[in-house]
Amino acid sequence: MNAPFAGKDGEAAFASLCDALRPDLFRFAFWLARDRGVAEDVVQEALLRAWRSRESLADAAAAKPWLLTIIRREHARLFERRRHETVPLDELVADGSPELAADDTDQETLDLRRAIFALEADHREPLVMQVLMGLSTQEIADQLGLTQAAVLSRLFRARQKLRAALGVPAGGEAD
Amino acid sequence: MDCLEFRRIAGADPQHVRGGAREHAADCAGCAQHLQRLRAFDERILAALCVPVPAARGPRVATTASGLDRRRWMALAASIVGGVLVGSLLWVGSPRSSLARDLVEHMGHEPHSLTSSAPADGTTLESVLERAGIRLRPGLGTVSYANSCEFRGHTVPHLVVQTERGPVTVMVLRHESAGAPVRFDEQGFSGSIVPAGPGSIAVIGGAGTDLEQVTAEVLAAVTWL
Repeated sequence: MNAPFAGKDGEAAFASLCDALRPDLFRFAFWLARDRGVAEDVVQEALLRAWRSRESLADAAAAKPWLLTIIRREHARLFERRRHETVPLDELVADGSPELAADDTDQETLDLRRAIFALEADHREPLVMQVLMGLSTQEIADQLGLTQAAVLSRLFRARQKLRAALGVPAGGEAD
Repeated sequence: MDCLEFRRIAGADPQHVRGGAREHAADCAGCAQHLQRLRAFDERILAALCVPVPAARGPRVATTASGLDRRRWMALAASIVGGVLVGSLLWVGSPRSSLARDLVEHMGHEPHSLTSSAPADGTTLESVLERAGIRLRPGLGTVSYANSCEFRGHTVPHLVVQTERGPVTVMVLRHESAGAPVRFDEQGFSGSIVPAGPGSIAVIGGAGTDLEQVTAEVLAAVTWL
């Protein structure tokens, strides 16, 4: 399919797509940045860039990974800038950040949220891509510039760490 | 494949256990149970990842760290509003399409699809999704019916998802392109057909069902392989 988001129909289709994906794009950006304000800025800027470039997207099925790529680039840009301007990352992501408890979430979910928050980026990002965004391990490998085997290893480790943090019995090895 | 290898594979991607690993789970009760636990844990991870989302920001004067200015935001907002308006007009003004009729008639051939709200068999669902070349992110809602159906010369997934607005039928139409969202009311059903992936997705509920939110959730949940 050529330029599925060109023309008036394409504009409407792209607007619908962004509308549907925006919540998860925000969540993805949040787990990337671990900061709601940064996530909002990243998503705004990314959608602006995506809107301008929408006609260059030749395959509608690739829209989600394409948007994720733009989100990741915007995050990298913003993070690099803010790293020099503002607070140290350790302060930004202090355990128990009120951002995680800002709603009426149950304790179990809150604990898990904190555990995900505390994961290293190398483990957190592929996990979010897989569980939240529904990317395949190959798509994650493409996004991160890793081999599929490396992605599988990180995903396994990420779940293992979460289980350990929550005291859930280990499941990675034979019982 | 032994249990250790199975658990390494399943532990990295519990939603997509295929080939030898799937065969192993079919023969090993312990690993099948382990897989169920992994999938349940993934549901919890997904719930945790779904942090509250702020309302979409409108145009604003204050610059962000990236230096957006009001003019750029106005241009973007105008474009999006224009796009949504076009979509809305099509949504309201579309005549009955033969595709809509065919969809509702197809539902009439499988009335049992709407009779149960219990979760569909996991293996069947996985097989239907795999055959269609799509993945369905967990968390959309309980899928109570899953079947690979012949529809307009193609095999398409026919799903029923239990939502807060009642059961909705979802048909993923890889071979039916839609230029813009279309809404229809047909034979006591309300439905929408929206462009998605290489084709479109149809979401159909009872008459008068507010499908906008459900359709957005379905769109976000389906990943095309």
